[in-house]
Amino acid sequence: MGKLEGKVACVTGGTRSIGRGMVEAFLAEGARVVVNGRDPEKGRRCLQELAAGDRAAFYAGDAAKQRDVEGLIDFTIDTFGQLDICCLNSGGVKNAAPIADMTDEEWNLEIDWNLNQVFWGMRKAFAHMLPRRSGRIIVTSSVEGKLGKAGLAGYVATKHAVNGLVKAAAREVGTMGITVNALLPGIIETDIVRETGPASAQAMGLGTYDKLIETFVQHSAIKRPNTVEEVAAVAVMLATDEARNMTGCLFPIDGGAMPY
Amino acid sequence: MGDLEGRVACITGGTRGIGRAIAEGFLGAGARVVINGRDQAKGNAAIASMNAADRCWFQPGDIMKREDCEALVDATVQHYGRIDVLVANAGGASGHAPVAELSDEAVAEALLWNFWHTFWVARRALHYMIPQGFGRILCVSSVEGKVGKPGLANYVAAKHAVNGLVKSLAHEVGAQGITVNALCPGAIETDIMRANGPGAAAAMGLTYQQLLDVFAAESAIQRLNEVEDVAVVALLLASDAGAGITGSLISIDGGTAPY
Repeated sequence: MGKLEGKVACVTGGTRSIGRGMVEAFLAEGARVVVNGRDPEKGRRCLQELAAGDRAAFYAGDAAKQRDVEGLIDFTIDTFGQLDICCLNSGGVKNAAPIADMTDEEWNLEIDWNLNQVFWGMRKAFAHMLPRRSGRIIVTSSVEGKLGKAGLAGYVATKHAVNGLVKAAAREVGTMGITVNALLPGIIETDIVRETGPASAQAMGLGTYDKLIETFVQHSAIKRPNTVEEVAAVAVMLATDEARNMTGCLFPIDGGAMPY
Repeated sequence: MGDLEGRVACITGGTRGIGRAIAEGFLGAGARVVINGRDQAKGNAAIASMNAADRCWFQPGDIMKREDCEALVDATVQHYGRIDVLVANAGGASGHAPVAELSDEAVAEALLWNFWHTFWVARRALHYMIPQGFGRILCVSSVEGKVGKPGLANYVAAKHAVNGLVKSLAHEVGAQGITVNALCPGAIETDIMRANGPGAAAAMGLTYQQLLDVFAAESAIQRLNEVEDVAVVALLLASDAGAGITGSLISIDGGTAPY
C-alpha cells in the first residue's frame, strides 16, 4: 500500500528533472498524476517511459501562461475526478542578465513563469480544495528564495516573492485542511540548468558552466549538487496525510547552503 | 523492507513524548534503537509497550551529565555494533521568569538540558560516524530556536544555541557523509510541557491553558502540533533520501515561524 493511494496530483514541468522525479515518486506511492509540459511529443515519450497506464496523463501547456496553468487544474479534475496535490514546480530563467542589461521581456517572463504561475495555480486549486477541506500545495522554490546572487536578480526576486506567497497562503487556508509549503533545493544539474547555465554563468561573471556549478557546490556543506530524488522524497512526505500539521514551511534541500 | 533496515539509532529521552514517537517511527522502518531516560522501570515499560524488545535497548542515564551522555553513545555501539542516527531529543526548561528575575540556575539548567547535552552526544557520536563515513544527527530544537517569547529567555537562548551548533557542525562534516539538522516543532502537549508549562505560563503572566492558546493562535493551523508530526520528518532525514539535507532548521510548527 503506497503512501499516496487514492490521491491525485498534478505537476507543472513534470516531464523532466525535479518535476519528473516528483511524478515518478508519486506514482510509486500509488497516486494518479497529471504531468504538464509544453511539448506534446515530450509528453508522449514521458508517459511511455513512466509506463503507469491510466494512472498517468499528460497536459500540454505553458506554465508561464495563465490559461494553461488554470487549464491544467481543470484537466486534472476532469480526468481523475479530484485534485489533492498541486505541485507548482516549473520555473527558471531564459536569458539571465545583470540588472543593467536585463530586458523587459526576460523580466516579465521570469515573473510569469516563477511567480504568477504559482499564484494562478494555487488560486485555481483552492477553488477545488477549499470545499473539500483537503489539499496540498507544493511549490518548487530555490535557495535563491532566501539568498541572492549577482546576475540572477529576476530569479532571486521571484523566488523570494514565491516564498512570501507560500507563507501568506499557508495562513489563509491553515484551518481548512490545506497545507502550502515550498521546497528550496540547492543546485541540481537538471536539463534546465544545463541549457540555461552557460548564459547564467556569463551574467554572473563566472565565465563557464563548470565554474557556475562549482560556485554553488562550494556554498554547500556537502560539497556536491543536490539530486532530484532528494527533492522528490520531501515532496512525497509533504503530500501524505501524516504531514497535515506542516505548513508555511520553506523546506531546505540544499546541502547546507542557506544561512537560515 | 523499511527505510532504516540495518541502521542503528540512539535517542536521548525516548520513553515518552517526541522521542518516543521518533523511536516508534524508526522501529517501524526497521532500525534498531537505543532509547534513554533516568528511570529503568519507565524504560522497561516503554520497550514492552512498543513490542520491540528484540530491536530496542534502554540505556539509563541523566543527559544533564556528560559522562552519561557519552556512555549512552558508547552503549549504543557496544550493544548494536554501530551508530548511524543520533537524535538529541531530550530538552526543556524550568524556573522560567522574565530576564530581570531569571536565576543563574534556570539558565544553567536550560543550557545543560538542551545545549550541552546535544553537544556532548554529538561530539561522542562523531568519533564513530566520521570513521564510518556515514551519520545522521538530528537535534530536536523548537520554534523557540528561531523566535523569542518574553519570559522564556532561558529556553529560547538554549534552543538558539542548539541551532547554531547544528549549522556549524553541518559545514564541518558535510563532505564526510554526515548530515546535521534541527527539527523545530511548535508547541506540543507532551508530559514535559504539562510539567513545566504552568511555570512558563506564569512567567508570561498567563494560565497554562492561555499559554497553549497563545501557541495555537500564532500558528496557521490554529492548533498545537503533535509528536507524530516530528517523527515523520525525523524518519525522512534519517533515511538515505535525507542525504542532501543538512544544516537545516526545519519548521514543524503549523506555519508559526517566520522563516
